[in-house]
Amino acid sequence: MGEIALEVKDLYITYNSMKTYSVKKNILKLKGSDKTRIEAVKGVSFALEKGKILGIVGKNGSGKSTMLKSIAGIFAPDSGSVDLHGHSISLMSIGVGFNNELSGRENIALSGMLLGFSKEEIEKKTQEIIEFSELGKFIDAPVRTYSSGMHSKLAFSITAILETDIILVDEVLSVGDAKFKKKSYAKMKELISDEDRTVVIVSHNMETLRSLCDIILWINDGDMVMYGPKEEVLPKYEEYMS
Amino acid sequence: MLSKFIRDTKKYFKYTVEASKASLMAEVANSYLNWVWWILQPICFTFIYAIVFGLVFNTKEEYFIPFIVIGVSMWDFFNNMMKNSVKIIRTNKSIVSKVYLPKFVLVFVRLGVNGFKMMISFLIAVVAMIIMGVTVSWRIVLVLPILLILVLFNFAFSCFLMHFGVYVADLQNIVDIVLKLVFYATGIFYSVSRRIPAPWGKILTYCNPMAYLIDAMRDVMLYQKLPNMWMMLIWFVISLALSYLGIVLVYKNENSYVKSI
Repeated sequence: MGEIALEVKDLYITYNSMKTYSVKKNILKLKGSDKTRIEAVKGVSFALEKGKILGIVGKNGSGKSTMLKSIAGIFAPDSGSVDLHGHSISLMSIGVGFNNELSGRENIALSGMLLGFSKEEIEKKTQEIIEFSELGKFIDAPVRTYSSGMHSKLAFSITAILETDIILVDEVLSVGDAKFKKKSYAKMKELISDEDRTVVIVSHNMETLRSLCDIILWINDGDMVMYGPKEEVLPKYEEYMS
Repeated sequence: MLSKFIRDTKKYFKYTVEASKASLMAEVANSYLNWVWWILQPICFTFIYAIVFGLVFNTKEEYFIPFIVIGVSMWDFFNNMMKNSVKIIRTNKSIVSKVYLPKFVLVFVRLGVNGFKMMISFLIAVVAMIIMGVTVSWRIVLVLPILLILVLFNFAFSCFLMHFGVYVADLQNIVDIVLKLVFYATGIFYSVSRRIPAPWGKILTYCNPMAYLIDAMRDVMLYQKLPNMWMMLIWFVISLALSYLGIVLVYKNENSYVKSI
């Protein structure tokens, strides 16, 4: 085994389905007795080697995205641990929140800083991000004027160009128009195939998983069903799903 | 916990500065007068207050214009901080749900934004003081510790409101009402310690940190008086302790916030 980049141990994540409580509700019902806890992830453990690509599969609502968020440090696990061994990590989803009143350029700077990059590093990469996003002169217009396609193009470009050691991908292999889709897919592939980069992908697309991943983790209702090389896991998963 | 706080503060310092600037810019980005509003708005408000309270209600305080400006700028700072903090996680949902950042950084950004606005109001107060020929003494240096306590105290309360604001949906309504009450008890347009008969005036001033801080600020800026230094020390210690508790509370729970919004 090579160097471990990402280690997840016995991860449990639960949350209340009753989201916030209101004072009135509580007084009337005497302390939220109707709280139902949802167990999203139940005791998942795995260790991923540096440079490997892990695909997570499972039906909708089986806890895939929750787990990804927890690995990214956004969600606290109820028990268990996530160890990144000092690597930087980013969740490639539809952008680090944009401030709608600010221009695309200013949002690049803010998002980059949130991802842990220094101002200088971001400045160096800004041009590349703008070019990749194909936004042209719109980059200096407020983000609220962007179409949804432009929005996601910019978001994708930021996370794709500001590379981190570990990238988590949540089913966003295709954004924008047909041309940009192709380009972003190629970029993803390039990022993913970098030998030093560790990647975790959540996807329902069998084709993507088969061509990109090395290892597959199959979870069902939060339980770990299988973890192993794609040749072993994917056929069984397909059999189960059909 | 404290060392983690210091480390995180350093790490996110630049982000705090940039994000504060960005929010300030965003606030005025769509107006014609742009940043001029930061100056124009407090001036206009001051005139309104001066007319309503000075002429209509005939409130008499020495140096009434700077008296109001100081009160209003400190109150607005506190008021905005509290109102922002209750819903701060929800307002920043897009960031909070996509990337980890220590949640008190969001409070820092609001401190930066509201603090900047307060400083502009203070400049107006200084201009008014010069025009009215207010003389100042060495006691003016006490402005700094008073501001420090103000910031600490607001930070602490913001942390608590941020935390409970995530879970208690009605907190925003409650905060609005409490702020209204505190507003009248704080003496923005009159002096609580002088207007309310003894001993209640003094008691109300000392027990309400905003009233005390505004009163102290007016004493050192306008009247060359020494505020009650014991109270200053007490409020400093309380603010420091509350800040610490706030940090602990937020660190312990911050990663569960996303689950609730």
